[in-house]
Amino acid sequence: MTRRKRMLDDLEQDIRDHIARETQDNIDRGMTPEEARYAAVRKFGNVTNVKEETRDVWSLIWLEQLLEDIRFGLRLLRKNPGFTAVAVLTLALGIGANAAVFSVVYAVLLRPLPYQDPSGLIVLHETTPKVGEVSVSFPNFIDWRAASHTFAQMAAVESVDFNLAGITQPENISGDAVSPNFLSVIGVRPFLGRDFDASEEKAGTAPVLLLSYSLWQSHLGGDPNAVGKTITLDGRSFTIVGVLPPNYRALDTTDVLLPIGVWATKNADAIKERGDRGDMVVIGRLGPGVAFGQARAEMEGIAARLAREYPGSNDQFSVTLHPIREAFVGDMKTAILILFGAVLFVLLIACANVANLFLVRGASRTKEIALRIAFGASRGRIIRQMLTESFILACFGGAVGVALAFGGIRGMAQLIPADMLSGATVNLNSAVLLFVAGVVILAAFIFGLAPALHSTKPDVQSELKEGGRTSSGGAAQNRLRGALAVAEISLALILLIGAGLMMKSLYRLLQVDPGFRPDRVLTMGMDLRAQQYSQDPAVLNFWQQLIDRVSALPGVQTAAVGTVIPLTDSHSRSDVTIEGMALPTPGNYPHPDVHVVSPGYVSTLGIPLLRGRTFTDQDNENALLAGMINAMVARRFFPNEDPIGKRFMFGHPASDPAKWYTIVGVVSDTKLYGLANPARLEVYLPFRQNPRSYMALIVKSGADPAALTSAVRETVQSIDKDQPVFAISTMEELLRNSVATRRMTLVLLGLFSGLALVLGAIGIYGVISYSVAQRTHEIGIRMALGAPRGDVFRLVVGEGLKLAGIGIAIGIAAAFGLARLMSSLLYGISATDFETFTGVAVLLALVALLACYIPARRAMRVDPTVALRYE
Amino acid sequence: MSTKEERERIELLQGTLDLLILRTLLLGPAHGHAIAKAIEFNSEDVLQVEQGSLYPALHRLIKRRWISVEEGTSENNRRAKFYKLTPKGRRQLTLETRKWDKLANAIARILRPARQEDES
Repeated sequence: MTRRKRMLDDLEQDIRDHIARETQDNIDRGMTPEEARYAAVRKFGNVTNVKEETRDVWSLIWLEQLLEDIRFGLRLLRKNPGFTAVAVLTLALGIGANAAVFSVVYAVLLRPLPYQDPSGLIVLHETTPKVGEVSVSFPNFIDWRAASHTFAQMAAVESVDFNLAGITQPENISGDAVSPNFLSVIGVRPFLGRDFDASEEKAGTAPVLLLSYSLWQSHLGGDPNAVGKTITLDGRSFTIVGVLPPNYRALDTTDVLLPIGVWATKNADAIKERGDRGDMVVIGRLGPGVAFGQARAEMEGIAARLAREYPGSNDQFSVTLHPIREAFVGDMKTAILILFGAVLFVLLIACANVANLFLVRGASRTKEIALRIAFGASRGRIIRQMLTESFILACFGGAVGVALAFGGIRGMAQLIPADMLSGATVNLNSAVLLFVAGVVILAAFIFGLAPALHSTKPDVQSELKEGGRTSSGGAAQNRLRGALAVAEISLALILLIGAGLMMKSLYRLLQVDPGFRPDRVLTMGMDLRAQQYSQDPAVLNFWQQLIDRVSALPGVQTAAVGTVIPLTDSHSRSDVTIEGMALPTPGNYPHPDVHVVSPGYVSTLGIPLLRGRTFTDQDNENALLAGMINAMVARRFFPNEDPIGKRFMFGHPASDPAKWYTIVGVVSDTKLYGLANPARLEVYLPFRQNPRSYMALIVKSGADPAALTSAVRETVQSIDKDQPVFAISTMEELLRNSVATRRMTLVLLGLFSGLALVLGAIGIYGVISYSVAQRTHEIGIRMALGAPRGDVFRLVVGEGLKLAGIGIAIGIAAAFGLARLMSSLLYGISATDFETFTGVAVLLALVALLACYIPARRAMRVDPTVALRYE
Repeated sequence: MSTKEERERIELLQGTLDLLILRTLLLGPAHGHAIAKAIEFNSEDVLQVEQGSLYPALHRLIKRRWISVEEGTSENNRRAKFYKLTPKGRRQLTLETRKWDKLANAIARILRPARQEDES
């Protein structure tokens, strides 16, 4: 372009100089200046035409050539429909898989978060070596905010939920109680109404809230005069002061946003108690020019100081900082990146296959190309023409691939549980299409360049003279084709090993005993928040009625309530003191998960009772405080004695009279936090002695538990028509969701590696059968000279197995390094699992053998006389 | 079909002029006017080409990198662009000349078969 511009810029000057020189010559020859100039101009010809033609040299020719190349390419592709279809389909599979996976990569990892300058936003948690990351206590947040200089602003975010009367039936909604500066920290402005005011941080402030855009639409019909109206949550009236923008996105579902002062009014303890870590995270905005590491160092210093000042609540507690993007990505990142790597491999294999097709076709085109070179076409010109052809093919592949991705994305959406995406929408957007365009260009070069360079190599051109039977060019081409097949095999092997490791992990994981029987169990949550449940007897009465009425429903075997359903991520933990134990330092008390349950809970979930008894109806308000422990508590604290009859209390020994719980039974450990995570300490308490307003109902059915849903819901409404139920699920669904990331990785990796295996097999088949076709003559001679058919068979199969062997060796070496990247997704096996590696290698060798078998049989049937007559 | 034939004929003409330019530059770099003069003089006015048509041809040759351009001053101290044969152009000239000779011989044989028989 620049050369063209430079050349054309002074064309006018050149022409003027030329005419001036000619004029001067004419004057020298004796013409008058006027005549001389006239003659010179006439001799030069039409200046405008000359300029135009010269310009055309630079512009039109390449454009015309390109159009010509495209026309020529299209004609060639139309003439070979078989070749075109196979190549387009192969590329479409590779590009489509890439588009589908990239749409997830983009949605989860790349799409800008709807905040102002999200890179400066940091999520802070407290952390303790025993448990890992935990919520932040309100007093600690206040001290962090006061002490930090690296953060320009900080805001507390407490998860809250409410019962809303709803439109058709009562429902449970969730949201956040936030520091008044929260929206300005993240840089979001209300869609309607006002932001919170600094005065709304203190307890006792008027109950106001912002509605989410979707709640505003669904419950107020998008009423533009919604601001100032009231909405009733948990029987209390809240004034709507605004509506959030439609693209508002938070870490969890947000139906409403309220100032933290409103929450503080109802949670007087939580804002005072430093040891009370409810459900709060802190969002901070880094000050200008502050590096992440600086902020972390400062915050860790502040946390250490607080731990020294308040050992009772803060001993061993520190702080963790994460860029806000990480908080959104969660544990999907590894899986997504592995799948992205896998589809890139599939694309490379697809490209290798198409390159192979091109080489085969290139071989039949050698004469055509040689002829064109002989007629004066430059090598670059022919390469350009062949690349244009590749590009057309890649474009078709890309178009079909995008169509495939359309379906693929829908399929993947079903594999990924919605809550894992944290509100990210996966779709085919302009970013994905841009990526596909990049892939198309890249692919065109990957599969087009090698064959194009190869077919135009000068030594290939000797084909023309040699008659094109056996030449050095053919040997070089076979080497290139062999190398492509080797690359395909090794890439396929790496993918298969990845899939194999995932499969074995998932198998191992599903073999893990969860500690309960998930089959035929339905669960749903309820939170009694209405005014009428402010007294314990009313709460107990509701739960008792619920258990009694649901148990009586046809099809129900047993029903019970409990506070912590396994695999739901909900938890309630507390420090305990066991009577007579050596008192640990404040941060080292046993910290078990606490279940408050009805008598039938353990049997309904099928948790085995190991010692003593389960709770009965007699474990009520009037009886001695009872408790059960799990096997891990028994092992750790009563290693050599019977725990039955021993006592424990919550919290640390204090002066006020202790509430001791007597251990009446020991049950099995349950996998509360997923099959891959270790069991934890657990204690169980009878619900009548510990009334709780939040409980989950569990129902063991005689048949399909989901079929009971509406009957159970009606039963709840028959007790209290305004009481919402939520989180309805079967235990088997919960178990499936708990391994969803692994299952998704396995399914997709399995799919991709299967694709890779088929493409790799086709690749090796193509190379071997082409080589047999080329060597028909040689094989004929061998047989004429008395080589047994078995030898010929071994010769051909040996050639294929040699390629497969090299591919497998390279693949294993690469997989050895790459498989480590997925160790966080593996369970119960190492990333270099011997069985998987050998199994996959053998599988690939067998597939390669099969791919060689057909051409080898063909080679054996070569008739020597026919083969020789060819020459 | 007919357009294609026409195009080939035009290309042949262009090719001829290209060949003449390359041949002229074999003697050394020259500016546009000098090249036109040289072709005119050497062909003794047999080749009646408009001098202007030299320019598209020069640009075509530059684009193919058969010749290159240098700024310089001409004999009477005026600014001028000097066109110079590149090694690639030199090779092309040899090739084209050989092709041209072959063609000329072939045509000569066809047009004067009797003379040829006499010689043998």
